[in-house]
Amino acid sequence: MRLDDYIEGFERDEAAHKRRLAKEKSYAITDHLEDVERQLEETLSGDALFGSTAPEIFVGRSGYPQVNSGVLSPVTDDHDPTDFATSGNWYADGLGIEDVLQRRTGLLNSQRSAKVDVEDVWDGFVGTQREVAIADQPVDVELGLDSTPEIDLSVDDISTPTGPRARAESADLAENPHVPRPVKKTLSDDDWRAEGAMTYLYRKGFDVYDVNTILSAGALGQGANRRLVPTRWSITAVDDTVGQYLRGQIRNAPSIDETQVWYNEYMGNKYWIVLSPGNWEFELVEMKAPESVWNPVGEAHYLASAHEGYEGRTSYVDETAGAYYASRLGVLEHLTDIGRQAKCLVLREVTDDYWAPVGVWQVREGVRNAFDDPGGLPDDIAGRYGVAETFREAVTGVAEQLPVSLGALRRKSEMVAGLQAQLSDF
Amino acid sequence: MFNAIVSADTLRTALDSVSVLVEECKLRLEEDGLEIRAVDPANVGMVDLSLSAAAFESYETDGGVIGVNLSRLEDIAGMAEADQLIHLELDEETRKLEIAIDGLEYTLALIDPDSIRQEPDLPDLDLAAEIILEGRDVNRAVKASDMVSDHIALGVDEAEDMFYVDAEGDTDDVHFELGREDLIDLTAGPARSLFSLDYLKDMNKAIPSDAEVRMELGEEFPVKMHFDIAEGQGTVTYMLAPRVQSD
Repeated sequence: MRLDDYIEGFERDEAAHKRRLAKEKSYAITDHLEDVERQLEETLSGDALFGSTAPEIFVGRSGYPQVNSGVLSPVTDDHDPTDFATSGNWYADGLGIEDVLQRRTGLLNSQRSAKVDVEDVWDGFVGTQREVAIADQPVDVELGLDSTPEIDLSVDDISTPTGPRARAESADLAENPHVPRPVKKTLSDDDWRAEGAMTYLYRKGFDVYDVNTILSAGALGQGANRRLVPTRWSITAVDDTVGQYLRGQIRNAPSIDETQVWYNEYMGNKYWIVLSPGNWEFELVEMKAPESVWNPVGEAHYLASAHEGYEGRTSYVDETAGAYYASRLGVLEHLTDIGRQAKCLVLREVTDDYWAPVGVWQVREGVRNAFDDPGGLPDDIAGRYGVAETFREAVTGVAEQLPVSLGALRRKSEMVAGLQAQLSDF
Repeated sequence: MFNAIVSADTLRTALDSVSVLVEECKLRLEEDGLEIRAVDPANVGMVDLSLSAAAFESYETDGGVIGVNLSRLEDIAGMAEADQLIHLELDEETRKLEIAIDGLEYTLALIDPDSIRQEPDLPDLDLAAEIILEGRDVNRAVKASDMVSDHIALGVDEAEDMFYVDAEGDTDDVHFELGREDLIDLTAGPARSLFSLDYLKDMNKAIPSDAEVRMELGEEFPVKMHFDIAEGQGTVTYMLAPRVQSD
């Protein structure tokens, strides 16, 4: 499909989509928190909470290496705890911002201060927490709380929000957790560097969400290096490590042979992905609307970008943070699927419809699904791409849809300024 | 057979100019001197170095190619004082390089040259403009541009008869002009190309500030930079592919 037809395809749908999003956007969360409080009171028997935990844990980062570390359990038992854990299914299920916040506020974070150094810790609170993290199914746990839960919602740009919190005195397993075989293998091999073990699990079919929880529990890596990893760091570490592995897979792959533009939108975020022939090069440019969640008081769009060449970066990104690694993973998964390499520019527009941050998984899934069949797009462009003659034409075409000028984009974007050529091109 | 003695300073300068681009390389042992040509894994930057036999205190070889890990060799060379001599001798039987610095002996395992990336042919480019300038001006241009941007445009303004540098950042700009009187020489011609500062910064590190740099430049074409090392007994050419704006 030609790029201008492709763009026309979703312009028609824009107005209807806006209306739908506006309806979705609501501030019912406050009401919801009251419900949660009521449910909590009903569920708590004295200071104990018994029930299944979600197969996800939360490790805070403040005070590192002495951190708050917690297990997450649903406050009501009318849901499958798995639904509360962050995963790609949330995208498939079409969760909106409010749905995510509701799910997460329905999850009690029972936490305790812990040392991150956990090489041989398999008993007590941290031990239970680690067992929960490496299990692939919800585990029944009995929690002793030493305070009434505090009804709260904390959000972060990278981690998924967490809801009410309580200090835990104890956590005891009420059943034997089921641990999948590849996890047992990475767990028992304490001579295996964490990067290799993460990649191994990913290759064995574990999604980055699972690998992240396992890494966060300090269940990977060389024995002496095993630590609880704050959730926020762990998410980015897994996206980066798996991304580097995938990048290695396409290092010598042939290039794609046409310039393609892919599009997706999710939770008030719009993603334009331009793939162009040539050696691997990647850039994420973010445009955050005034009054959107990360630019609440700005008057103009806030621009951020980060870039890597064929050999990757040698340092952590200065701007865009975890979104860089999450979007890069989404693109690399597509490229390894088709066995090609490409120059890739991801343009992320954060509209003011993105009224609360839900975590960086939203970026990962938004980009991943652009290449499949993203829901919510008109049929004639969903899962398809527009073709442009050149990268320049693609960027010029897309720029008309963006809230910033081509000139501003050129200043911000390394790739829009110029694509790296090879000596053999001359 | 290879047996040579060279000052630590000369050896380090030569190795540094290559190691900014690659981690391992092939040393071609020619009768009239040492030659290295290497391209970075992305095939974007290339170095072509020759160090004449006259740059050595003594130099004997009957030809051949050896592969070395540059950072190892640099580390060893770093053990010597600048004016100390380094003795290099190839052990034909073990295929190892024996390195001696004033009683300190180091045996360096070599790398099979066939396992090192094939060096490319130097593309034969017809570049319209030639600018001869001092190394310190290259350094100023790169340093100032790096404050605002990740890339830099190098160009020649034919009407004004000058060489210029432009860097555009998110908000700030750098513009640097060198007229004919500021340059050692200028052959004006249509030229403007954009380059990654990551590469130029690395190359700049190896360009001595008092060197005379001969820069060849075209329109959206690679840039070539030639300069001498080892008191004129060696030459280095860098070539860097541009970031293209027209595609």
